[in-house]
Amino acid sequence: MISALRPTLLAFSQFVRTPTLGRRVAGLLALAIALLLVLNLAVFVLIQRTADFNDTVEEAQQTRFVAREVLTRLVDAETGQRGYMLTGRLEYLSIHTEAIQRLPDLFEELTGLTVGDPDLGPRVEHLRALSDERQILMERTISLARTGRFDEAVALVRSGRGKVLMDAMRVEIAAIDEIQTTRLQFQTRQSEWAGNVTVIANAFGGAVILVLAGASAWLIRRYIYEVQGARDALDRLNAGLENQVRVRTFELTRANEEIQRFAYIVSHDLRAPLVNVMGYTAELEQAGRIIDKQMTAVETKAPKLVEQDALTAVREDVPEAIGFIRASTEKMDRLINAILKLSREGRRNLVPEPLDMTAMVRNIADSVRHQTHAAGAEIVVEPLPGLESDRLSVEQVLGNLIDNAVKYLDASRPGRIVVTGEETAGGWIVYRIADNGRGISDRDHERIFELFRRSGRQDRPGEGLGLAFVRNSVRRLGGDITLESELGKGSTFILKFPTRLILPAAGDYA
Amino acid sequence: MSHAVKIVMVEDDLGHAKLIEKNIRRANISNEIAHFADGGAAMDYLFSEEVRLNGPMLILLDLNLPDMSGTDILIRVKADERLRRAPVVILTTTDDKQEIQRCYDLGCNVYITKPVDYESFAGAIRQLGLFLSVMQAPDIE
Repeated sequence: MISALRPTLLAFSQFVRTPTLGRRVAGLLALAIALLLVLNLAVFVLIQRTADFNDTVEEAQQTRFVAREVLTRLVDAETGQRGYMLTGRLEYLSIHTEAIQRLPDLFEELTGLTVGDPDLGPRVEHLRALSDERQILMERTISLARTGRFDEAVALVRSGRGKVLMDAMRVEIAAIDEIQTTRLQFQTRQSEWAGNVTVIANAFGGAVILVLAGASAWLIRRYIYEVQGARDALDRLNAGLENQVRVRTFELTRANEEIQRFAYIVSHDLRAPLVNVMGYTAELEQAGRIIDKQMTAVETKAPKLVEQDALTAVREDVPEAIGFIRASTEKMDRLINAILKLSREGRRNLVPEPLDMTAMVRNIADSVRHQTHAAGAEIVVEPLPGLESDRLSVEQVLGNLIDNAVKYLDASRPGRIVVTGEETAGGWIVYRIADNGRGISDRDHERIFELFRRSGRQDRPGEGLGLAFVRNSVRRLGGDITLESELGKGSTFILKFPTRLILPAAGDYA
Repeated sequence: MSHAVKIVMVEDDLGHAKLIEKNIRRANISNEIAHFADGGAAMDYLFSEEVRLNGPMLILLDLNLPDMSGTDILIRVKADERLRRAPVVILTTTDDKQEIQRCYDLGCNVYITKPVDYESFAGAIRQLGLFLSVMQAPDIE
């Protein structure tokens, strides 16, 4: 239970310790609620006290009533006694007896009402003692009168003891009355004061609650304004950012298009002179053949006219020169075509689609099977994660890398090319093409990706185009290519592609 | 091919022009060849009164000209009431797909890429010469 509460408690203490607007609002509301509870409690106490006060008032009235009733009964008893003494008629005696019989009940009630009361208790006891004595006195006169000793009875009455007792009782009752009245007055004042205090406290508490609620409302309002303001600012910032991105993208796209256009123009303008070089080389060759023919004819008819140097020039130097011109021109043409291919690839529209990479790489591996077979090598394609990208580009990239791996195997050991892949965090997929071939020396790790640059022994045909093309394509697909390699051990090309190729919307370039 | 058909060659590279002419001649085509090294001169000629008098003709057009693009000439020729029936052969180094498409859209009749390899270039020109020898060019009104 405690452990379950812990996170909540931690969160709460964190909330309390952090000076936030939310904490302030919560604090104000908690204060208002606490105040409301205190006010409720005060009202409850007041009600309780008022009820108590009502009880006290009732008790006091009852005490006064019963005390007076005691006196009334005694007066009734006295009336009965006197009537009997005067008339000797028994109905007066019954009035007396009836009154006396009520007295014990009344005293019991009185004692019950005043028990434990330091002021009233003794007075009630005194009243009871006086009443008892008065009763005894009355019983004696009545029994004297009953036995016919009227003189003695009258003398007893005349002694005035009865009046003394009755007066004393009146004094006691008046005193009880007085005490009760004083008490009631005091309590009434107290009750009134408590009532006033409660009303004032209620009014004050209500006002404070109103203020607190107002403050909370104001804070919340301010908070909402702040939030709204922050959101507006964010929206503005976002809009600015989007605009900036659009502008930058546009600039980049334009720069890229310019480069493409440049490559395109250069390659075509370079080609035009080559047509001439090749064409006139061929014309020269043809002219050379004609001269050679002429020389042969001259040689047979007039050998003395022919200079050995001229023969060497026509039959050896000229064809050799033409051979070099032709070879260089052909190479130049291949290079230009390479640039052209790169520039065209850069302008091709990419069409992303889901690709089954395992099947694709197995196909590529099959297409070079006769080469691997001849070299006694094997290509291992492990199950590869799929990708959503441009099929042709990805195929060309992997084809190039696998071709290279096969092309540059080390003849001293059986070749083994392993293609693996995995998904990594952040929406990337990484493919590795690892071989145990010749490897690439450290200083060439960057160079091999440049156009027309190659590494190691130049014993394989190639223009140094493949990896430049690969890197170009990979970057266009939003990916990257890196190399881990050690000379003489093998190379691993690491391709990193976004899981999904997302092309910028065509409208952005308008 | 009737002798009246004149070949108008717009080619800024003099070497190319000479090679083209040589190879056409090697294919035994003896029609008159008028050569222009820039777009402006070619346009002046094509839209001059002289053309009207010279009857049918065939235009060999290079796309990369110093003063304008060959496609501009193609557009003007194909938009002209009198010239639009003249066959236009684009003969250029450009083998860009979009460019080829654009030229055919604009109404060119044949598009040939100049191969760098001389043998095939010469071959192509000779083939063109043979083609010219059998093709009929409509009269320019």
